[in-house]
Amino acid sequence: MIELTINGVSRKIDATPDMPLLWAIRDVLGYTGTKFGCGMSLCGACTVHLNGVPIRSCVTPVSAAQGMKVTTIEGIAADHPVKEAWKNLNVPQCGYCQSGQIMSAVALLNHKPHATGSDIDQAMAGNLCRCGTYPRIKTAILEAAHKGTK
Amino acid sequence: MSEREYTTRRQFLNESAAWLGGALIVTYGGSLVQKAAFAAGADAAGKFEPNLFVAIAPDGHVTLVCHRSEMGQGIRTSMAMLLADELEVDLQTITLVQADGDERYGDQNTDGSHSVTMNWTRLREAGAAAREMLIKAAAKKWNVSPDLCHASLGYVIQNTSKKRLSYGELVADAAVLHVPAHPKIKPDSELRLVGTGQPSLDLDAMMAGKYNFGIDVVVDEMVYATLERSPTVAGKIKSLDTTAALAVPGVLRVERIKGIRKYTNNAVAVVAKNTWSALQGRRALKIEWEHDEVSGSTELRAKLDKALEKPGKDYRKDGDFEAQVAGAARVFEARYRAPHLAHATMEPLACVARVMGEDCEIWAPTQDPQGTKEDVAKLLGFKADNIKLHVAMIGGGFGRKSQPDFVLEAVALSNIIGRPVKITWTREDEIKHGFYHGESAQRLTATLDKQGKVTGWRHRSAFTTITRLFNPLSSEPGGFEMGMGCTNMPYHIPNVLCEGVSVPTDVRVAWLRSVCNIFHAFSVNSFLDELAHETGRDAVALRLDMLEPYGVPAWDKKSEPPLDTGRLADVLKLAAKQSGWGGKRAKGTGLGIACHYSFKSYVAVALEVKVKGTQVQVVRADCVIDCGKIVNADSVKAQMEGSMIFGLTGALYGEITLKDGAVEQSNFHDYQLLRMPESPKIFVHLVKSDAPPTGVGEPGVPSVAPALCAAIFQATGKRIRDLPVARHLT
Repeated sequence: MIELTINGVSRKIDATPDMPLLWAIRDVLGYTGTKFGCGMSLCGACTVHLNGVPIRSCVTPVSAAQGMKVTTIEGIAADHPVKEAWKNLNVPQCGYCQSGQIMSAVALLNHKPHATGSDIDQAMAGNLCRCGTYPRIKTAILEAAHKGTK
Repeated sequence: MSEREYTTRRQFLNESAAWLGGALIVTYGGSLVQKAAFAAGADAAGKFEPNLFVAIAPDGHVTLVCHRSEMGQGIRTSMAMLLADELEVDLQTITLVQADGDERYGDQNTDGSHSVTMNWTRLREAGAAAREMLIKAAAKKWNVSPDLCHASLGYVIQNTSKKRLSYGELVADAAVLHVPAHPKIKPDSELRLVGTGQPSLDLDAMMAGKYNFGIDVVVDEMVYATLERSPTVAGKIKSLDTTAALAVPGVLRVERIKGIRKYTNNAVAVVAKNTWSALQGRRALKIEWEHDEVSGSTELRAKLDKALEKPGKDYRKDGDFEAQVAGAARVFEARYRAPHLAHATMEPLACVARVMGEDCEIWAPTQDPQGTKEDVAKLLGFKADNIKLHVAMIGGGFGRKSQPDFVLEAVALSNIIGRPVKITWTREDEIKHGFYHGESAQRLTATLDKQGKVTGWRHRSAFTTITRLFNPLSSEPGGFEMGMGCTNMPYHIPNVLCEGVSVPTDVRVAWLRSVCNIFHAFSVNSFLDELAHETGRDAVALRLDMLEPYGVPAWDKKSEPPLDTGRLADVLKLAAKQSGWGGKRAKGTGLGIACHYSFKSYVAVALEVKVKGTQVQVVRADCVIDCGKIVNADSVKAQMEGSMIFGLTGALYGEITLKDGAVEQSNFHDYQLLRMPESPKIFVHLVKSDAPPTGVGEPGVPSVAPALCAAIFQATGKRIRDLPVARHLT
C-alpha cells in the first residue's frame, strides 16, 4: 500500500511500486483530468505537482509519491488566475493537453509570479499542443502574471 | 470497390467531373429532421421537443444537441450558436448534449471541413421552428395574431403591450402544435450570435479536468487492455508465448485479435486490472511475426520518382500543353517531394466497448459514428439497431479518428472476453499504426513565351491514392484527390495538363487534415515562386496577374459554389499588405507568401523567417481567410492559428519513414511537433463576406509549407523542394 495525499485528500493505493503515478491517478484513484500522451516525459500532458513541483507523472513511479502531496488539474481552484486567464483567452481547442499546460503554467507562476515571455517559452517548452494553442497559452500566462498570482 | 462504402464514407464528386470543382460534394442538410410528421408532442417529462436538436423543459431549461463530433474545431459551440440564435435563448444557459451515432441526425461524418456548410440553414431552421411554435402558442393564449408577437431570450413578448410569457410556461401548449415544415429563419442582419466570437461552451469542464475524452471513459466492470500489433500491415503470428505476460501481477488474460486487412493488423491483446499492468504484460509477450514481402522508404521514393517519368492519367486537359513545348521561348521544370505524415493526436486512440449477448455499446472518440457503427455491425454480424455508439470528446482528430480500427479492436476483444473493456493505444502504437498522409512526388513543367508569360502548365502528381482503402487494387488517384489543389489550379493558363499516378506503399493511407492539398499547394506555390524568381517578377504580382480576369473560371462554372479568382486575389493582397510584402529585408531574414483554395475557402499565408546557420526561426505569420459567412469568429481565428502551427510542424519536421514495411518513428523524440519557443507571432485576418459559409478546419494548413520554403529561399538562396525542411538543415 502506498499512501499519498491527492488534492488534499489522504488516500491509500493498492498498486505495484513501479506503476507510474499517472496510471495510479487515472486508473486507481479515478482522476481522469491528468492525461496520457507519450509515456516518455516528452509531451507534458501528464504534468502534476508533487509537493508543489511540476513533474511528469508518466515516468514517476507511484512509490516516489509515498507520503507526498499530489496536485492534479482537479485540485486547482476554478477561480485560479491561470484558469481565469485561460477562459478569458478561450485557449483550448481539443483541450487534451490543457491540463498539463495549466499545471506547468501554475507551477511557473508560483515560482516566478512575474514571468516574462522568455521565462514562459522556457517553462512551457516541454508541453506539446497539436492543435497549436501556443500563442494563446503564452498570452494567457502573461495575463495571469500581470494580474499577479497567489 | 464497394460503391456504397465509397460514397457513404465521404461524398465525392463523380470521377469524370471531379476536376471541375475541387474536392467534395457538399451535401446540404435537406429537410429538417422531425421527431414526428405532425404534432411534436411532449415527452414523459413534459418537454417540448419539436425536432432532434431542441428540447425545452417546463422549467424553461433548454437542451440543444450537437450531432457533429468535437475534436477541437469548436463545432459544439458553433452548432449551438446557430440553434440558439434562431431559438432566441441565452447561449450561456443552455445544456449542450453530444448526439450518439444515429442516422436520424443525417450526416454525422465529421470530416472535409463541412459541418457549418451542411448545417447553416438546417440548424437555423430547427431553432426557428421551435421559436415559431412558441410564438404561436403564446399568441393563442393571448388571443392575438402571432405576427404581433416576437421572441427574445427565452420569452415570447407582445409587441405593443410588452406582455410576456416564458418559454417554460409555453412548453405544454407549443408541444401540441404542428411543426412548421418551412420555418422562417431570421434575416442575417438580425442574427445576434452568429458572426460574433464566442468562447467554447466546454471551457468550464475542460478547466475542471472533467471534459470526458474517449480515453477517460470508465464503465462498470470494465477491464483495461493494450494490444501488440504486427509491425507490418499483413504480418501473421508465427509463434506466441504468453507465459511471462500472464505472470505479470494484474494481468487477467491474453487474447489473439484477428486483423481486418483494410483496418487492423493481427494483434495480441493483454487484458488487465489497469493500464499499467496491461502495458507490463504486453512487454513480457514473446511473439514471432511472419511478414509478407515488404519494402521501405528508399524503394517508395524510387517508385514515385519513376512514376513522374511517363505520362499519367489525364485529369484535366485545357488546350494542348505538348504543342507549346516546341515553340516555347523557355521551358521551366521542377520537382517536389513530400513524405508520409502521421496525425499524432495528443489523445492516443482509445475506446471502451461492451458486447453482451446480442447488444453492443461503445464509447468512442470517433469522427464518424455512423460509419463506425456499420463496420462494427459487419464485424459482429449484429443489426445496426443493436449497436449503441456514444460519441466521446476527441482529443485531436485531424482525420485519424475517422477510421474505425481502434473501435473494432475494442469490440472484438470485448466479444471474446465477455465484459466491458477499454483499449488504450500508446504513443508508439499511434505513430506506428497510422492511416498516414500519402507520400508524394510532383513534377511541374511550364512553357513561357518571350515576355515570360506562362503559356502552358503541366502538373504530374504521384502519390498513394486513398481509394486503396476502399479497393486495395485501386491503381489511380481519385478525382477528388486530384481536385485538392492540382486540377483546380486557379490560375488562367491557356494550356493545362494535369496527370495523376498512384504508387502503392506498405502502410495504410487515408485522411490527414487538408489531405492532398498539402502536397499540391506546396508544389504549385513553390513552382510559382520559382517562376517569379526565374522571370524576375514579384511573386505576388505574378499570381495576381495570372488570376485575372477575376471571377469564376469557365471550367468551374458548374461547381456550387464555384471558385472565384477575385476572392483568392483579395486574400493574397491582404496577406501581402499585412506582412509588409515588398519592403526592405534585413540580411538573413525572408518573407514567403503562398495562397490556396481548398474546402471552398480562400487562404493566403505570409511567413517571416530568420535563418542563422542551420537554425530557422519563424518569427511572424500572417494568415488571411475568406470562408464566406462566419458562425464563430473566434473559432475561425483559433483554427487559423492552429493551422499555422500544424502546417509548420509538418513542413519543418513531419516525416514518417518505412523500413521492411514497418514505420521507423515511434514517439515525440523522432516524430517532432513544434514547441512553444518555435511558435511564431500569429496574426489572423478574417475577410468579411456574404458568400455561403465554407470550410475552416483544414484550408489554413496547405499554404504554410510553400510560404515557409519561399521565405527560406529569400533568406538564404536555398530552394527546398523536398520536405521536411529539417532534412536540409543538418
